[in-house]
Amino acid sequence: MREYLIKRIIVSILILWVIASLNFVIFQVLSPISPEKTVIDPRMTPEVRLRLRGLFGLDEDMHIRYIKYVINMFTWNFGVSFTSMEPVVDELSIRLPSTVLLLGLALIGTILVGIPLGILAASRRGSKLDVVAIGSGLVTWGLPTFFIQLLFMLFFCYYASVVFGFRIFPPSGISSRPPPIDPLAYMADVALHLALPLITLIIAGFGSWALYTRSMLVDALTQDYIVTARAKGLTERTVLYRHAFRSTLPPIVTMIALSIPGIISGAMITEWIFTLPGVGRWYLNSMLAADYPVVQAVLFIYAVLMICANLSSDIIYGVLDPRIRVGSRR
Amino acid sequence: MAFLFTREKRTVFIRRIKGFWEEFGRKKIGLFGLAVVMFYVLIAIFAPLLSPYDPLASERVAQDFAKPGWVTIFPQFQDLPTTQREQLFWHAEKGLEFIGRYGKTVVAQYEAGGMETVGVELSTTFDYLSIPPNDFYLAFDWVSKDIKDLEYSLRITMFTPEGKSYLLWIEPTLSTIKGEVVTVQAVDPLLRDRLGFEMHENIAQILFSQKGEYTLLLNIRFKPKSDTAKGQITLENTEFVVLGQVHGLLGCDNVGADIWTQLVHGARISLEIGILCAVASASIGILVGVVTGYLGGVVDELMMRIVDILLCLPFLPLLLTLVFLFGKNIFYIVLFIAIFGWQGLSRLIRSKVLSLRETAFVECARASGASRFHIIIKHLVPNVLPIAFASLVLSVPGAILFEASLSFLGFGDPRVPTWGKMLHHAFGFGAFTNLAWWWLVPPGLAITTLCLAFVFMGHALDEVVNPRLRRRR
Repeated sequence: MREYLIKRIIVSILILWVIASLNFVIFQVLSPISPEKTVIDPRMTPEVRLRLRGLFGLDEDMHIRYIKYVINMFTWNFGVSFTSMEPVVDELSIRLPSTVLLLGLALIGTILVGIPLGILAASRRGSKLDVVAIGSGLVTWGLPTFFIQLLFMLFFCYYASVVFGFRIFPPSGISSRPPPIDPLAYMADVALHLALPLITLIIAGFGSWALYTRSMLVDALTQDYIVTARAKGLTERTVLYRHAFRSTLPPIVTMIALSIPGIISGAMITEWIFTLPGVGRWYLNSMLAADYPVVQAVLFIYAVLMICANLSSDIIYGVLDPRIRVGSRR
Repeated sequence: MAFLFTREKRTVFIRRIKGFWEEFGRKKIGLFGLAVVMFYVLIAIFAPLLSPYDPLASERVAQDFAKPGWVTIFPQFQDLPTTQREQLFWHAEKGLEFIGRYGKTVVAQYEAGGMETVGVELSTTFDYLSIPPNDFYLAFDWVSKDIKDLEYSLRITMFTPEGKSYLLWIEPTLSTIKGEVVTVQAVDPLLRDRLGFEMHENIAQILFSQKGEYTLLLNIRFKPKSDTAKGQITLENTEFVVLGQVHGLLGCDNVGADIWTQLVHGARISLEIGILCAVASASIGILVGVVTGYLGGVVDELMMRIVDILLCLPFLPLLLTLVFLFGKNIFYIVLFIAIFGWQGLSRLIRSKVLSLRETAFVECARASGASRFHIIIKHLVPNVLPIAFASLVLSVPGAILFEASLSFLGFGDPRVPTWGKMLHHAFGFGAFTNLAWWWLVPPGLAITTLCLAFVFMGHALDEVVNPRLRRRR
């Protein structure tokens, strides 16, 4: 196990290095809008230009820049944002809480709705509930999340203000302006602002969990040990939860770990629609402003997250399912 | 398709296709998906016939945020008018010195004779019988030629049924050659100021507050400066458009462009992008999967590490960045989606090839001296094609959704009409505040139904080619 872990970590670091290099090549070498052009105004005096080039490290040779770049990335030193002139790490720490709050709640919500639905569907195959689970799973494949969000926004924010005279949910931001001072009122305010994004993310996401859990469980319920368990006279409930569901846990937990990165990059659109001050929105705005340090940093952090998720899913799988011999090829 | 060359193989192949089709035909959900996809394909093919307008450059076919035409069946909307487009024919007023033609094209000609100012008056009428509109415009083009020692001026006045007059357009005294394409718009602040209305007042509603006959009076004045003065003024293509509050099947967007047109043209792009991306990424996936699976060794290890790296890349943010840096071009979008979309399939194919490699028929081929290339092309690829086909169909909705997301965020190709772009515009240009559900719902529903159709089809195909799945349902 330890050997395998060390091997995986080394491979992960190699992958990170490749991604950092790719980042460098895309932004500093291939990009038609070079960082030089974004920082330096042609009207600047030569002295200012020189100082700026020095400040952003643009006056060195390409290979030295590359080495410095990779070292900076690995030491979490992402430089200074072109637009705000603040360190990228500080800016990130301001925006991270909103994203983590939204995504964490969304992930928990989808799992809490999806997995029980999947279990119920598997235990009552062929019932209406089963059809609902399969249907909602298929629909999530084809339904753009942003379409649900736009629809909900239209009806709960704008139609509601015409029909009822007030907006049921606020359409943008994470808190009222100015935010309430009382901490309880502030929490309620944030909850009200996050309600619509959360509900839509859960609606868009729970179906795939239900379908996945169901198909896993249906597979497990046809196994011989289930027949044995039933033959022993165990209640259906015990068979379902203690025998069948337990055996499906490893793949489900793996799926949870693997789904985190996808949710993070997918939440970009959610943050864009609901004007939430999160990382995704920051990323989009920075890109439109050609603020390379921010864009590179966020891409790198996303990659780190994905690698961590991959790694942890492997580890969890190994821990939960002793049958899996870690170290064998995938 | 080297394996189709001999007759026996062809019959075998045809029989397999037939069997496959029979099997697929039993899946109702698959047939349903296929029917929906075919429906969209037909719409995409006949898009220019289904709508008379250009999807990118047809503005002001009705007022901005005009409702769909069929809402008039509801009592509260039944009075809403459609666009009224009047081709105007000018008639000469009696008793005026007028040399030239009138009708659709007005030619007023001045020839030397005396020094006094000469006026020409032409009129035209049309009926407006609906509730007051929110917007109108008057369009025409005029040109003067052979002007010599002559001052001239033009003006157009409108008379309402109750007899009030409004000076819609004026060209003050000129003595040089000039020509213009004129559009007098109700929303023009200069017009509002000249007519003496306040900021918040809607000129169109005030001017067309009465039902009845409206008269336009065109007044051309010539003032000679010598007795050899001459000149000619031509005015043509006069059109008075009272923009409707309802329009077509799906109404209008914020610039009065027809939404149905954008929708049917969007079907083309979505299908093209979805299918192109899926075929491209499936080709890469099959190639990589078969080659790495069969060859093994260093190639396999290297390619699988590349797959690992690609799987660790944040797909959407990276795609946005690439499109932003290299240009918002449909070609790049397809290319990038294809480049980042083949990893899953290649793993699937690889695992299938790993088991195929050990089967008897491949071993026979190897023993009888077949080259690696021959085995890959003639034995392995045909055997993995069915799986690849199912997952190709299943990857179409992903590509369509990705393009829609890109366009929705404003990173789509600006030169093509796509559903994502419609949603982008609807989100950015006031579909919410105007409650324009007819602008938001159709493109979203179109994306959803097309993607779902592919999903249904793909699942049915998957069940046909993966017999293991059949047992489960």
